Amino acid sequence: MALSLQFPVSTPRQASLEISKLTPGCLASSFSLRSPSTSSLHSLGTSSGIATAVKKSSRRWRAAKTVAMAAAANEVSNRKVLIVNTNSGGHAVIGFWLAKDLVAAGHEVTVMTVGEESSDKMKKPPFSRFSELRDLGVSTVWGDPKDVGAAVGGKSFHAVLDNNGKDLDAVKPVVDWAKSQGVEQFLFISSAGIYKTSDEPPHVEGDPVKVDAGHVGVEDYISKSAFKFWSSFRPQYMTGSGNNKDCEEWFFDRIVRDKPVPIPSPGIQVTNIAHVSDLSSMITLAIGKPSASNATIFNAVSDHAVTFDGLVRLCARAAAKEAKIVHYDAKALGIDARKAFPFRNMHFYAEPRAAKEKLGWTSSTNLSEALKERYEEYIKIGRDKKDIKFEIDDTILSKVG
Amino acid sequence: MQATDRTRLRTQAVRRVSIVTTASSDTPTKKILMMGGTRFIGVYLARLLVKAGHEVTLFTRGKTPVTQKIASETDQEYAEYSSKVKHIQGDRQDFDGMKSKIASAGFEIVYDINGREAVEVEPIIDAIPSLKQYIYCSSAGVYLKSDLLPHFEVDATDPKSRHKGKLDTEALLQSKGVPWTSIRPVYIYGPLNYNPVEEWFFHRLKAGRPIPIPNSGLQITQLGHVKDLADAFVRVLDNPTAFGQVYNISGAKYVTFAGIARACAKAGGFPTPELVHYNPKDFDFGKKKSFPLRDQHFFTSIEKAKNDLGWSPKYGLVDGLTDSYNLDFGLGTFRKAADFSTDDMILEKLGIKVAVPA
Repeated sequence: MALSLQFPVSTPRQASLEISKLTPGCLASSFSLRSPSTSSLHSLGTSSGIATAVKKSSRRWRAAKTVAMAAAANEVSNRKVLIVNTNSGGHAVIGFWLAKDLVAAGHEVTVMTVGEESSDKMKKPPFSRFSELRDLGVSTVWGDPKDVGAAVGGKSFHAVLDNNGKDLDAVKPVVDWAKSQGVEQFLFISSAGIYKTSDEPPHVEGDPVKVDAGHVGVEDYISKSAFKFWSSFRPQYMTGSGNNKDCEEWFFDRIVRDKPVPIPSPGIQVTNIAHVSDLSSMITLAIGKPSASNATIFNAVSDHAVTFDGLVRLCARAAAKEAKIVHYDAKALGIDARKAFPFRNMHFYAEPRAAKEKLGWTSSTNLSEALKERYEEYIKIGRDKKDIKFEIDDTILSKVG
Repeated sequence: MQATDRTRLRTQAVRRVSIVTTASSDTPTKKILMMGGTRFIGVYLARLLVKAGHEVTLFTRGKTPVTQKIASETDQEYAEYSSKVKHIQGDRQDFDGMKSKIASAGFEIVYDINGREAVEVEPIIDAIPSLKQYIYCSSAGVYLKSDLLPHFEVDATDPKSRHKGKLDTEALLQSKGVPWTSIRPVYIYGPLNYNPVEEWFFHRLKAGRPIPIPNSGLQITQLGHVKDLADAFVRVLDNPTAFGQVYNISGAKYVTFAGIARACAKAGGFPTPELVHYNPKDFDFGKKKSFPLRDQHFFTSIEKAKNDLGWSPKYGLVDGLTDSYNLDFGLGTFRKAADFSTDDMILEKLGIKVAVPA
């Protein structure tokens, strides 16, 4: 049957590229999207005006694109996937979004969160929202990476993703268990922080890494464990609903209270802030295309860099407020920039070239839009009213004078 | 299967592969008009086109010799090239004169390497009814400054930029209905560069002088080797995928200002240079430039060209700068003599003495 897909694209050329990736019969007949506030894509019908249709809501755009991408030219479908998820920190949110994307792509998902369901950590997002996962049919369990089998109760999986460990101590038990169970595909959330610093950005896959880094040892071990398929994903920073660790909130905290935003000089350092859906769509594609993604390292990031000063400006625009940037020389003032500022005080910018080349993945992060959504949520939960102490800021500002 | 059969099939397979790889070798000979071609980009591009069998005519004022032997070619290669490439002498600012000189040669392709304003381009298109493609050397300088980088071809352009003429030309090409392709390089480098990019650093390295870098030196830019650029220009020739398209063409990686200084040192076998940072706002340099690159982040994504044209840069930064050093500055040639006057102003103000080698 002739099949054309209705989804928003930005240019006619992009539309024809997307269409050419689809093959009849590879698409399920209905998908439901993750968030109740977006419309559902119940069936993929014909579309005229593809060239003119343009997204209105970035959530709908991201969701539709994720679905289309996950379905396009997959090698496998209906995989049983286990996500071993950390119980805290910046990467926690990845498992939450990935579970939803995998379900939308037709896979069966179990999320094993490290630790206990009754722990206080489970009161924070994304864990506090795990009912959303269960509503989609995701199985949520808790356990110890040293005994995954006990947690998943003898279930078998095609693919296992470790989104928990930073070193071999934490990940080896999971790898060994997966191997013993005949798991076909092992995936690992590593870190772009392992790249050696360089005069020539960006960090691209294959660039030298710090050999002593824990994540490097893990990637090495996985690559030698004779899985049929394996991949590693190196993220930077993420924004997105359900995040467990502050990212843009640090900026909103100051902007909404009309406080100056202290930025380590010179302010032109670049970083990469991806919407978490870029990561979940990339990993979903890798699971759907295990041969294409096999034995490959992927930078799990958006395809744009933003400067520190630029990020302040974007957050200010999202909040519809003015922001005052104050640059300071952290070293000269004796300030520990790691405590004073949420991002590494240096150029830290990786690009997702392997994902584009090998998986046909594209980034859908629109940082302006993402920050506007995050700001709405920031206000909705009343964080602008929260009483926050800005001790380090005050120290910096008094020293700068 | 007989050995001879196997060999025949393998040879056929190899031939098939080589036909597919380069667009120019399976395209019939084209009559090409090149505006420019005697200074930098065109020097390499014209050679590639002639070698590929096309009939190439350079349109220049004749102030520079039409052909000159370059360091990387043999006498025979130069003899071949110079005997084949043609020339029309004229002034492209004299629109009527130019039109009469180019009208009846049956040109099919125009490579416009030195066009600046749209008014210069329109008469060429109007003069050549047989025109099948207009290939234009634009500039990534047209992009509007942004907090989000790299620049992609779809990004906003700056109607107030210094390169407004390039933007106007792209718009004109779009409006004229002739198939066109526009190439947007960032900073071009390589042997014979007339823009003192690498040369600026080489002068200071050779003199053993510290290298003054504006502000932090963390500014990120992108250098592209001229030979990679020439290769890209060849790949858009008669390539329908490229019709109506703009392409960023530059190096595979970006580089900081401080990084360029270090890469140039490696290329020329110089020791790691001392970098001196200064705030340009503290100085009045008059009309002189104290640094060859714009003081901002400036880099582009080249993935569109990679995907559409099957092109990718062959030179990494240090390799490419080494090529430039070995075939130009290192042989004692350069375009602009060393001028350390702005350096001395900076060093004096910062209280830094320069040790002059005996």
